[in-house]
Amino acid sequence: MPADVPPGDGPGCRIRLDSFEGPLDLLLYLIRRDELDICDVPVAHVAEQYLLYIRAAQDLNLDVASEYLVMAATLTSIKSRSLLPSHAAEGEEALDPGAELRRQLILYRAFREIAKELQRSEETWRDIFTSPGERVRWAPEGAGVEPGQAGLLDLLRALESLTAEEEPAPVHSVAPRGWTITECIEALERAILPGRSTSFSEVLGAGPSRRRVVAYFVAILELVRRGWLSVRQPFPFAEITMERTGRWSLDS
Amino acid sequence: MILDRLAREVEALLFASDAPLSARQLGELTGSGEESLVQAVERIDAAFREQGHAFHVVEVAGGYRIATDPEYGPVVSQLFEGQKPGRLTRAALETLAVIAYSQPCSRAAIEAIRGVNCDSALRTLIERDMVKISGRMESPGRPLLYATTTSFLEYFGLADLDHLPRMEEISGLLGMTSSELEERDLFRTDDHGE
Repeated sequence: MPADVPPGDGPGCRIRLDSFEGPLDLLLYLIRRDELDICDVPVAHVAEQYLLYIRAAQDLNLDVASEYLVMAATLTSIKSRSLLPSHAAEGEEALDPGAELRRQLILYRAFREIAKELQRSEETWRDIFTSPGERVRWAPEGAGVEPGQAGLLDLLRALESLTAEEEPAPVHSVAPRGWTITECIEALERAILPGRSTSFSEVLGAGPSRRRVVAYFVAILELVRRGWLSVRQPFPFAEITMERTGRWSLDS
Repeated sequence: MILDRLAREVEALLFASDAPLSARQLGELTGSGEESLVQAVERIDAAFREQGHAFHVVEVAGGYRIATDPEYGPVVSQLFEGQKPGRLTRAALETLAVIAYSQPCSRAAIEAIRGVNCDSALRTLIERDMVKISGRMESPGRPLLYATTTSFLEYFGLADLDHLPRMEEISGLLGMTSSELEERDLFRTDDHGE
């Protein structure tokens, strides 16, 4: 159902949640936008602004990652605790409910800045080429690992490829034996007498197994190949009749 | 400038090697002392500049390499059309930053700093050979520990881990309590300045 998306009335609606790298990133954005000091963040204000964003995103049917919701709960909790009178005992420092969050924000911001610096280096070094290592570095299949340089992952990959190769081939049990072609030929010699035409079904007898049919059929083909037997079949699937030719047993 | 024998040997080695060569390695290969090799590298670099070459010697991933000037990036890039991997995403870069400064570290430690799930970013970094599994933490669940690779240094043109931007300051931050952090807030002015 196409949701009737209302035009954003809060400041939050104009920015998509997925342009942020998580709740801390969003909080830093809000703090900067409202020109607040990270060490002296008015939690009530920030929590309000933050929740505005999350609600706006939810109204737009955006998938709000669970981390954002956890942060919303954390902010609400900090906000409510900061409103309650502190029960710290004498001489004990009052627990600052926002301290942990501030710590997180400061740390995250430091790494976010570092990530930006890395990105600048990445940009520079995309344009720098060394000789002739690029062929190796950018080869689709990574080059082999130097002795002593293999990491756990290399070993796991190697193990994986080994176990893939060592996988035993599926085993089929084969029935000991049925009929050899030689045996069938010998039987045919007894069944097809000189000067008489004999039918295939006559040779096979009543209720032959599939294996018997195949063995005898192959034997017949062999005899035809040798020119010992002439075979007739009036139409497809009709009875096959066989007769010895003049060359029967001549070669044996 | 006419290069001496040692400088030319070093130049040849750097040209032919597919990995950075450290002063120690160059010393072993040429039979000279590390000190004289550092100077030889400087002479080569000076000669390149003097003669207006398109490349120079860079110090990267614990060694020296001959590398083209970024100015010629666009023209050389054509050779590797379609082979060059894409740029890393912000999520991957942030994850990499945390690992680089606090390695070896667990996924939970990274996620505590970034405040988001880092699964797919980590996977990308491992696939791109920027990060490797370096062991397990001796704590309940024995979580995997991650560290950066030599490719990471090469990719970002870093001589070694000590050359990461603001290495001391950032690694110092990690051990601080929140009040210390607030006092030493490095980026305090950035927020208003940007």
